[in-house]
Amino acid sequence: MLYRRAGIRHTSYPKERQLWPLPFDRYLVTAVALFLLAAPFLVDRLYLVAYLLPWIIWSMAALGLNLLMGGAGQIHLAYGAVMAIGAYTSVHLVRAGVPFEFALVAAGLMSAAIGMIFGVAALRVKALYLAMSTLAMQYIVDFVISHSPAISGGTQATIQVPPVSFLGIALEGDLPMYYFALAVCVVVTLFMLNVQRTAFGRALAAVREKDYAAEVIGVDTFKYKLLAFWTSSFIGGVVGAVLVVSYLRSVSPDQFHIELSVQIVAMVIVGGLGSVLGSFFGAALILFTPIVLNNLVGALASGLGIAMSADLRAHIPLMLYGAMIVGFLVLEPLGLAKIYDNVRNYFLVWPFRHARR
Amino acid sequence: MAPPPQSDEIVLACRDVELAFGGLRALKGLGFDIARGEIFGLVGPNGSGKTSMVNVVTGFYRAQSGTVHLFGEDVTRLKPHRIAGRGVARTFQNLALFRGMTVLDNILLGRHVHMRAGALPSLFYWVWALRHEVAHRRAVEELIDFMQLQDIRDEPVEVIPLGLQKRVELARALAADPRLLILDEPMAGMNQEEKEYIARFILDAREERNTTVLLIEHHMDVVTSICDRVMVLSYGESIAQGRPAEAIADPRVVKAYLGERAAARHKGVAA
Ligand SMILES: Nc1ncnc2c1ncn2[C@@H]1O[C@H](COP(=O)(O)OP(=O)(O)OP(=O)(O)O)[C@@H](O)[C@H]1O
Ligand SMILES: [Mg+2]
Repeated sequence: MLYRRAGIRHTSYPKERQLWPLPFDRYLVTAVALFLLAAPFLVDRLYLVAYLLPWIIWSMAALGLNLLMGGAGQIHLAYGAVMAIGAYTSVHLVRAGVPFEFALVAAGLMSAAIGMIFGVAALRVKALYLAMSTLAMQYIVDFVISHSPAISGGTQATIQVPPVSFLGIALEGDLPMYYFALAVCVVVTLFMLNVQRTAFGRALAAVREKDYAAEVIGVDTFKYKLLAFWTSSFIGGVVGAVLVVSYLRSVSPDQFHIELSVQIVAMVIVGGLGSVLGSFFGAALILFTPIVLNNLVGALASGLGIAMSADLRAHIPLMLYGAMIVGFLVLEPLGLAKIYDNVRNYFLVWPFRHARR
Repeated sequence: MAPPPQSDEIVLACRDVELAFGGLRALKGLGFDIARGEIFGLVGPNGSGKTSMVNVVTGFYRAQSGTVHLFGEDVTRLKPHRIAGRGVARTFQNLALFRGMTVLDNILLGRHVHMRAGALPSLFYWVWALRHEVAHRRAVEELIDFMQLQDIRDEPVEVIPLGLQKRVELARALAADPRLLILDEPMAGMNQEEKEYIARFILDAREERNTTVLLIEHHMDVVTSICDRVMVLSYGESIAQGRPAEAIADPRVVKAYLGERAAARHKGVAA
């Protein structure tokens, strides 16, 4: 079968450590990468901008949050606020004439710095309290942004993003913006994949699994939780900048409210805590299912000639959506990534039943 | 109060360690030295304070008074990870492996103190982390061979039998190349053959890796055959210190283990 592991022998540690040790996985990744590269020429502009681009950006956000939630086991309900800080930082810097390359890094640094201030406070408490204190961060950041005219340009104001260029390429029009987001996404994805196979990721996992055992092998648990907070917030800031520059094109406070934070938390959980692949699955599911269900219900209603009140018509997809998420989590609490993994393991050893990892 | 010895031949020196949980005095002014290269046994009936003593040494419990010196330096108030950073590794009485991770990853984590574990090596993996990771992987594979864990290196730790889990935890501790290795009942629940395995590993660790060992153990046969010296605890007090056979034969020790009446009978039989 396609996935067969039999006959594959690695003869060196670097070989065994490569990202996709099985040829089939490599083919699959190559195919997906080629598709994403060629997408602007393969798919309709509308689909590119309305589906592929947000999927890439939201997946990045899910990846960043997953480092903290799946990697270090710390919940964070203010990732939208973290992205807001990055978004506003980059936009203001760009408007002040700072090159976008710097603005992008500064966005990450600013999010990381402010995220850390809350992190230091939040990490002194555990679980539910951590959830509460990050929630407080969300509201404080929301409030500060919308009530400081210097940042938001006044309540209900929208700031346009001026034209920017990245490494000499003007980010104008759909194509460069898509490729720019894709490039950042590749970097973030590779980073996350590498985290999982290096000492950093193992130390985080140790902190997540058993903090006293982590201490005994020399892991400074507080430092690593903070480091996870820092890194995750940095990624969040960068994603915020990418979001406004290549997708939203303008920035206003209401784009980053608690809804966004909850949406990203949902992506991480539904996709699979700690899974890189799961972040992409989760983002796709959370972003697109409402649209698909909406169209489906609409088509059904008109196709079958069922008279439906507009109210019901609007709510049925939402209920189905909620039911589906619950269903997925009941079916496989470890998320979509685990479902994929199960299927993959099945084929790895087909026609036998038991997979050795 | 005897001053802590200055020589770095003394690996661990505890002085007048007092530890209380509320009204319960778990350690009542304990003091002992462990010399370099020694296998030092800590024995005593259940609840006598052996684990508590080790928890004080490794920074998990904070003694109300008394001092702990490690390699001549005061470490009494240091956090556990700092003490680990000074070359102390330990295992736990009731296992503290990382569930969900493979045996290999668990042992690799033992090398944490020697690794660059920041976020940047992950970003620049190919230039910055790959060689480093592979080098440590080699060291761990040597240990896997030494501890005969080859077959299970890719298994998640929670699926392997308890005896092997204990061995993995010992391997994780050894992976740190510790100067002082603390083992809290590494042979609990093992059969004779497995016990001998572990005893062999401990002796080899000392021969080949120059490790000093503090061993908590209930099996007296093991204690007498591999420990150089022992300290016997009873209700948080040291009731005997010295060569294992002598310490264990001490009347107070017999009494602590068997109870007053049984000890008297024991004497009668022995006489
Ligand atoms: N965290 C704690 N809180 C309260 N009491 C404790 C705590 N840890 C230990 N004790 C008490 O301190 C005393 C010594 O316990 P300790 O675990 O050190 O004994 P031990 O010699 O290791 O026994 P065992 O052979 O059963 O492992 C016991 O009475 C125990 O109940
Ligand atoms: Mg104990």
